[in-house]
Amino acid sequence: MTRVVVVTSGKGGVGKTTTSAAFASGLALRGYKTAVIDFDVGLRNLDLIMGCERRVVYDFVNVINGEAKLTQALIKDKNCENLFVLPASQTRDKDALTEEGVEKVIKELEHLGYDYIVCDSPAGIERGAVMALTFADEAIITTNPEVSSVRDSDRILGILQSKSRRSAEGREPVKEHLLVTRYSPKRVEDGEMLSYKDVQELLRVPLIGVIPESESVLHASNQGTPAIHLKGTDVSEAYVDVVARFLGEERPLRFVNYERPGLMKRLFGGK
Amino acid sequence: MSATPPTRPIEFRDASLGATVAVLRETRPPLLADALHKMLGGMPDFFSGEAAILDFSEIGDPAGPIDWAGLLSLLRRFQLQPIGVRNLRADLTADARRAGLALLDGASLGATTAPTREAAAPPQPAPPPKPEPAPAPSPPTPPENISAGTMIIDRPVRSGQQIYARGGDLVLLAGMSNGAEIIADGSIHCYGPLRGRALAGAQGNAAARIISTNFGPEIVSIAGVYKTFEQGIAANVAGKPATVRLTDGGTGHKLTIDPLQLD
Repeated sequence: MTRVVVVTSGKGGVGKTTTSAAFASGLALRGYKTAVIDFDVGLRNLDLIMGCERRVVYDFVNVINGEAKLTQALIKDKNCENLFVLPASQTRDKDALTEEGVEKVIKELEHLGYDYIVCDSPAGIERGAVMALTFADEAIITTNPEVSSVRDSDRILGILQSKSRRSAEGREPVKEHLLVTRYSPKRVEDGEMLSYKDVQELLRVPLIGVIPESESVLHASNQGTPAIHLKGTDVSEAYVDVVARFLGEERPLRFVNYERPGLMKRLFGGK
Repeated sequence: MSATPPTRPIEFRDASLGATVAVLRETRPPLLADALHKMLGGMPDFFSGEAAILDFSEIGDPAGPIDWAGLLSLLRRFQLQPIGVRNLRADLTADARRAGLALLDGASLGATTAPTREAAAPPQPAPPPKPEPAPAPSPPTPPENISAGTMIIDRPVRSGQQIYARGGDLVLLAGMSNGAEIIADGSIHCYGPLRGRALAGAQGNAAARIISTNFGPEIVSIAGVYKTFEQGIAANVAGKPATVRLTDGGTGHKLTIDPLQLD
């Protein structure tokens, strides 16, 4: 059974694409055949984060319009055997996404035997975002620990309830997971940032993980390597935990408590 | 009545129609627009094309001629479909007729105003069934006196969502978020956080209440009486079980919020 997972947030800049890339890579590393689709038509980024921008020949919209075959447009990831990227079109806009077209592509991926389809949603609540969540079985609600992001996530949760196929057909609702990203335990302790407990209390969605704020995410993006591959970093480990929890394993929350730098660290610097 | 051969291109039948009575205390469109906007907030489609009878019994002295065109287009903008007037001063009825409204005074309505939908509803009660041969694109109105019952929402009501329990109570089993709006003609019962806009007694039921196990709304209203919380919510109810009711405080109606003892 193919599962369709949408990574969405409402608000921009919270880490949807970073999460999509890391999460899809994590599933592939665990042996699942995974496709990750960029729904941000016109502002495509996923190919950059995945480091495959030079290999984009055909895109999602070409496939929807029948100008290319799905297998021609899917780009094999350079790091993971089981991972394929379906890039967005940079020259079109989101009206190019039709519900029939998206459905056709998802059905075809199911036929090709994919275990997971990860949909990287654009920001906003317009067509692109709605198309990304329409066929979702599960949703990862990416939220920064600040009030406007929380409210936008809340809005997108409402849209998920009303616009997804599952709700339209009266099936079991989309399974929701809350992912708090760009989390800074120090700023939480200083009272500058909502804690992940506050966010969860406001949204009332089960927490799947907390990703710490980290400069390594920026490095990863610039290199075109999904953050999960940065061995030894807190971000990478946090995403590994998220994938494990998604697959039903119990993992304790990490990187949520602020540890004052010890003497050695202060003497010798470093992060 | 209808005992006509089916060959006629038009025939007339008697029908009863549930309609909303809009008791006007003001006829100047700008003032009404303000008031409607305040009452309905972000819900321009609250009335969803209901037929409305304009009741002028509580109008003071209209300052001049009534701007019928302006008045009607305003009401239509709020999705009310005015079909007639009643209790209008005699010298104004000719204009009302010209504006396409039926005169519904006296016998045609008097006998039928008895069955009311709500038990106690001072401001705008009584949607009276009434004979109406006039054009009115009659919207589907629920049958009279059949309670719509209670609407129960199992999942959280999210920011941007609107829920309207027409004709009955609304029960939220998973709370609501900031930026959401819930409306009930009866009472609102909220298990979990009440955080958005909660409007009870929307058709004027002053006995309606708002009950929550975790009180933290942006706005509450009962029967059109509003309360906002710009200065914050009183500490004895904020985030705690509380109930809101409409009380008669000498100078007029006001909303009273009391803590609620759960166990």
